[in-house]
Parts: sequence; structure tokens; C-alpha cells
Amino acid sequence: MRLQYLTFSLTFVLLFMAFAQTTFGQALAISSGGQPTITGTVGGSVTGSASVTTDLIVTVNFGEVSPLNTNSIVKVTVPIGIRSNQPYQVTVSMTGLNNANVEALQASDVGFGVRNMRLLGGAGKICTQSNHIIRSPFDNDPATSATIAGNGRVAYPSSLGSLSGATIILSGPQLSKNNSSNRQQSDGYAFDAILALTPQFFASGVSSATLIFTISAGPNVPC
Amino acid sequence: MPLPSSMFSKLVLPTMFVVLMAVTCSGQSTTGTVTMSATVSKFVEINSGGAVTLAGNSGGGVTTDGVVNTPLGVAINLGELGPSNTNSFVTASVPLKLRSNAPYVLSMSATVTSSGITASRIVSSDVGFGLGTVSRTGTGVNTGGSDTNATSGDPTLPANGSVNATSGRYEFTAVRSNLSAFSSATTALNGAIIMNAVPRSNGNGLIVPASFAIKPQFFENGTTTISVTFTVTAP
Repeated sequence: MRLQYLTFSLTFVLLFMAFAQTTFGQALAISSGGQPTITGTVGGSVTGSASVTTDLIVTVNFGEVSPLNTNSIVKVTVPIGIRSNQPYQVTVSMTGLNNANVEALQASDVGFGVRNMRLLGGAGKICTQSNHIIRSPFDNDPATSATIAGNGRVAYPSSLGSLSGATIILSGPQLSKNNSSNRQQSDGYAFDAILALTPQFFASGVSSATLIFTISAGPNVPC
Repeated sequence: MPLPSSMFSKLVLPTMFVVLMAVTCSGQSTTGTVTMSATVSKFVEINSGGAVTLAGNSGGGVTTDGVVNTPLGVAINLGELGPSNTNSFVTASVPLKLRSNAPYVLSMSATVTSSGITASRIVSSDVGFGLGTVSRTGTGVNTGGSDTNATSGDPTLPANGSVNATSGRYEFTAVRSNLSAFSSATTALNGAIIMNAVPRSNGNGLIVPASFAIKPQFFENGTTTISVTFTVTAP
């Protein structure tokens, strides 16, 4: 009799698991898109997972950004993986960087752009009726497009100062072919979030900020 | 055989909950975080502000001239300083360029060594010194910042020196107007942040001329070497 109960229960649970995978499996997901990198730093670093199946948790230390750093720019590239079984959008919001002194590091001093949207692999969905769109003004590599403003300060086509609340940086059609409940190596896309900071005569101090990348249902575009 | 309700609540429901949580957590992360930090340390530098100006000299010349925006390292031959030089003063003006992202202090130390052995040899008090007008101009310079000149300015000004009525020797008498006041590192200038947030490639900064003067006199004959070191710090 007990074996009957157990068999019944296991069958019920297995059916529920199948239902759960279908219903909740990877509707929208964001993850690491690969190993983040940093160049031009003095005393800085970047940590994050190289695995595209792990959560996106990256810590960037730009290091010294006064003129003691004689490199022309500190550049950080953060690959980000995204998966969806529906049209999506990616937003970014920021906390921190609230220096009252205008000569200290400001959000506009950190260039921020998006480049290199790419398939993770064969399980990524290739849609022909809609494109993945990097929203204006973020479609640039700030490390190669920095300019000197009239006041002598470095300016970027887009920066963390371009963020206002949860700002859409990317949107497009379905990203994944399957509905796997677990992230796979090839079942979506990746893009590079690029951060750039030019060493300058900033007022001295330590600054910090946190960016939150969020994927959610986006404009209903056909695949 | 119906499933007892106790069995359902004690075994099946908890299992369903665990499965649901597992499915949700493993594949449904819709947010990711990038945490950033950066450090700006205090930074100061001193460079040449341009070419040296030598005047009133008899012989001599600028051996190693200053080149703007390069490390300061000039060498000057003041020439003849005996009475055969009939000019009122031999003067050398050395432009300095300072830059900082913090309040700064410019200090100076000097040594004067002479081959002479008597009291009439050239000594540190015979070398007049002063910092001239401070200039904060150009894009990226904190033009509103103030500076305090601890010297008396141009050492050749009548107010800064005169002939000693007793000894007959010319003396630079004003505050910090000769090199005897700088036998050890002594503040010559200090002030507010010099640069706004601009990159190092910006060539502007604070310019101030460092003026040296010697009045030709009946000094003991011989050769004299004057060595001056400028240091800028951000305390």
C-alpha cells in the first residue's frame, strides 16, 4: 500500500515539474556573458564569472583615475548574456555617484555604451522580422569616442549620466529557441557593456556606484 | 485507493514547493549587478613654465633652458658679478608651472657655495629671490582659486633691498627676499586647487616666475655655485 502512495506521489511531482518547466522556464533571463576585462588601469581590477550560465555579478575597481594614472583611458568590458522566449528589453539603473563637488567624479565622467550583440550559440533564436536595437545614445564604444568638451573635461557620446531611472538600452525579438529551465551555453545572446573612464584632475576621493541590469518583456515585435 | 490528505500535505506539497523554487531560481534571474569603484588620489606636479630670462649679465648665459611642460631643470651662468659688471643687477627669471587637484604648497630650499674664504665672498644672503605675479589662466584652470605668496616678490624692487649704511654691502632685506631664508625647505607659495577636472594632456596650469638677483659688488674673487630645489606638495 505504501508503495502505491509513493508511486502516485512521484508521478504527481514529475507531472508538476514538467508543468513548471513549461510555465516558468526561462521566460526572461540575464547572466554573465563571459569574462569581463579591464585595460589601462593602475591598481584596478574586475571580477566576474567567465561562465555564461552564472548570474551576472561583476565588481569593477577602476583603480587610480587621477593624473597619477598616465594611461589615456581605463576601459572595462562586461559581457552580458540574455535569454528569452518572447520579445524583451534590457534596462539599466544606477545608484551612487552623488558627489556634490562638481570637480569630483560625476556620472557623466564614466562613459557607458553597448556593442557587439552576438549569438551565444546554436540555441539562440535568429529572428528575421525584427532587429535587436541598441537604444540611443548607447550604441557606441565610449573608449574610442571620447572628446574634450569646451571646458576641457572629457565627454562621451553616452555615459552613466545618460541613465535616468530604469533606462532602456536594448530591446528586440525572442532570443532563445528553447524553453529550458536552466541556462545553457548557447541558448541566447550576449552583448558587451563598455565602461570608460579617463584619468583627470578630479577632486580627490573615492567614488562608487552600482548598475542594475534588468531584462523584462519588451515591445511586441515579430520574430 | 485515494491518496490520504496527510500524505498529500506532508510529502507532495512540500516537494512541489521545492521544485517550483528550484525551477524559478535556476533559470529566472532577470537582474544582474555591476558594482564599481574608483579612486582619485591627491596629485601635484611642477614643471617648467617656459624659457629662462637672464638680464644684466656680463658674460655667462643660460646653459640649460626651460622647456614648457617638461620637468624643471635649468642651469644658468650668471657671468661676472664683480664691479666690472656695471649693471645694477644680474637677474634671472625662471617660469614655474604648477598643477594640482588639491590645495598645494610650493617650498624651496637653496644652497650657496663659494670658493672664497672671507666674509666678502658671495653668500646666500647676497642672492635675492622672490616669486612674481601668479597667473591662473586657460581652459581647465581653477581661475577662482587664490594663492598666497610668502616672498616679497621682485627682489630688485627698492622696497626689498638697499645698501647697508654701515657695511656698505647691498642687502635684500624684505621678508624671504634672499636665499638665506631658504637654507631648509621653506614655503614660498601656497594656494587652492589649481586644476578643474581635465585630463593631464591639458597643458594649462598655474604659472609663476621665480626671480633671482645679485647686485655686482666687490665680492671676493672666485666662483660660486647656487643650487635651488623647488618642491610642491599637497598636504
